[in-house]
Amino acid sequence: MAGVPYKTLIDALHAAPAERPFVTEWVNEDEQETVTFGEFRARARAQAARLRAHGVEPGDRVVIIMPQGIAAMTVFAGAMLAAAAPAFIAYPNDKVEAAKYRSGLAGVTANLKAKVVVIDDEFPEEMREHVRVGDGSVVVRAGRKDEDELGDSDGSDSANLDSQKSASRKFDSQEFDPRQIDSGSVAFIQHSAGTTGLQKGVALTHAAVLRQLDHLAKALSIESRDRIYSWLPLYHDMGLIACFMLPMVYHLPLVMQSPIDWVMVPETMLAAISQHKCTLAWMPNFAFQFIPRRTRPDRRAEYDLSSVRALINCSEPVRARSMREFEEAFAGIGLKSDALQSSYAMAENVFAVTQSPLGAQGPPRLWADAKEFRGAARIREVQEQAAQSVEFVSSGRLLPNHEIRIVADDGKQLEDGRVGEILVKSDCLFEGYYNRPDLTAEAIVAGWYHTGDLGFCWEQELYVVGRKKDLIIVGGENLYPQDIEEIAGRHAAVHDGRVIAMGLYNPSLGTEEIVVVAEVENEALLDKAEQIEREIREQVAAGMGVTVPTIFLKPPKWIVKSTAGKAARSSTLEKLGREHPEWEVD
Amino acid sequence: MTEEAKQMIAYILERIRKPTLAIDENTALVSSGIVDSMALGDLLLKLEDLTNTRIRPGAVKPKDMDTVAKMFTTAARVGKPRK
Repeated sequence: MAGVPYKTLIDALHAAPAERPFVTEWVNEDEQETVTFGEFRARARAQAARLRAHGVEPGDRVVIIMPQGIAAMTVFAGAMLAAAAPAFIAYPNDKVEAAKYRSGLAGVTANLKAKVVVIDDEFPEEMREHVRVGDGSVVVRAGRKDEDELGDSDGSDSANLDSQKSASRKFDSQEFDPRQIDSGSVAFIQHSAGTTGLQKGVALTHAAVLRQLDHLAKALSIESRDRIYSWLPLYHDMGLIACFMLPMVYHLPLVMQSPIDWVMVPETMLAAISQHKCTLAWMPNFAFQFIPRRTRPDRRAEYDLSSVRALINCSEPVRARSMREFEEAFAGIGLKSDALQSSYAMAENVFAVTQSPLGAQGPPRLWADAKEFRGAARIREVQEQAAQSVEFVSSGRLLPNHEIRIVADDGKQLEDGRVGEILVKSDCLFEGYYNRPDLTAEAIVAGWYHTGDLGFCWEQELYVVGRKKDLIIVGGENLYPQDIEEIAGRHAAVHDGRVIAMGLYNPSLGTEEIVVVAEVENEALLDKAEQIEREIREQVAAGMGVTVPTIFLKPPKWIVKSTAGKAARSSTLEKLGREHPEWEVD
Repeated sequence: MTEEAKQMIAYILERIRKPTLAIDENTALVSSGIVDSMALGDLLLKLEDLTNTRIRPGAVKPKDMDTVAKMFTTAARVGKPRK
């Protein structure tokens, strides 16, 4: 397929054949809804008209907090059609505490200065009362089945009565001429963290997104017969770029299901792919173990993966064991030996930096001496499965017009085989975090984006080994330890500032688990450890929607402190490893 | 408490690696953070085994699995006997 001939994403949507299927919202084999590109476009136009009626002007930001589905996607496309900049925000779930959610949401809307916040008609009432927007902004409801279009403003929040009146006016086709949208204008804002609390808004232009999609489509040899499957959240770059923008621009059908439905029954991915003969999908590393372990062997024969061209491991470091487990589980139902691939991607670069070449026998694997890797951050290749070795899987090769550098802590560029921070430069790199010049200045230095990830290059392949930052990735979701520490530290039994949260890789899950180490105020409190642990666990679950499987309560002064008086994460982790060897914390 | 409910509780405790935690049929599991969404798939498979049913995808939401009692109510509502 030739390069992208469009000036904007809306141009691409406008050019799609009306009768071609676009999004199928898949619940199970019998229950699903499909819209064609023509129907999707019409709904997006209607949403654009509603947004305009609610006061949205070109350049305004529109925040969308809706469950995964066609309705949310048409609002997003409608906002782009209205020349506004939409942003998906995670939908609240029943574990999230209202106060925390409100705080996160307030942070996003304050930073984005959103003109309209769109929620769905089933948005939890107890959460609804916490949605706050500024003067001149409105909260509006959209039906899940979006033939209803956007509803009227919710009256309680700065609702603009004039806009309510005008919301009913008819769509004027001249008003949304895609030719009026400039390719250098912001198409949308995606967030580098999936949770609502930590907000680094990455504003991306139409031109940058199209350049990325062009590179990606060429790397994947996208053809019109391709059909994408996804359970990925739309607020995540994998879900938004690979599984919404890519099919929209290349006019490919997309089969999509709710992340919640998928996590409840992971084998539904196999069912959806089999039924629709999907050819491409992306998912984080943990899913490569999660799915086979939750698919009964006697049910595997019900599915057929022979249509899959590429199943791409992305967003977490790629683990050989996870890839092997998936391959072994499903080779018998048509999974091709070269179907499992890998990529290194980030919101700040729109999406992919690297992609393993399709057609090869999957990404290369490399065995290195463990002692040199851990002790000297250096790769010395050893024989496969040699004693005291570490296995790495490549994340692929650079996309066109992309460069990377591996640098040491002092900024010095490192040669191949040395582990350091990965720096990225490309023709689709973001220009900065929205309204955050402070964060931008830290992240982009002399045109290079400092990813905070650690990796090395070897024979033109990039291997990602972990994170320089203390980011915790659980099931593909980025979690900042400071958020967890803040909540745990509020417990009356925990000494202020004496909490460390970290992610430890759990081989049986194929992803990290959160571990919290906290000092109690006095040793006697350790007698109530079970109760305190339970309360901390409940508070973190309520505040962040995540589970902390393991909490280590320790006596006062147990956590190692740095010379600056701060809790020293790595030294504390080493101490934990000595006292709890069963946790393999190295 | 039924034998199946006891077995489910034992399984949950094993799954979350907290053998001494006190859980009964009405203990909130998901909303309290004891069980996270990634564990629900395991619990659903166990529930299918204990009730000898197959539970239709899309028919069960996390809130339906919040307590052991709700799990069995849900299985009775949407589970179909295994062939």
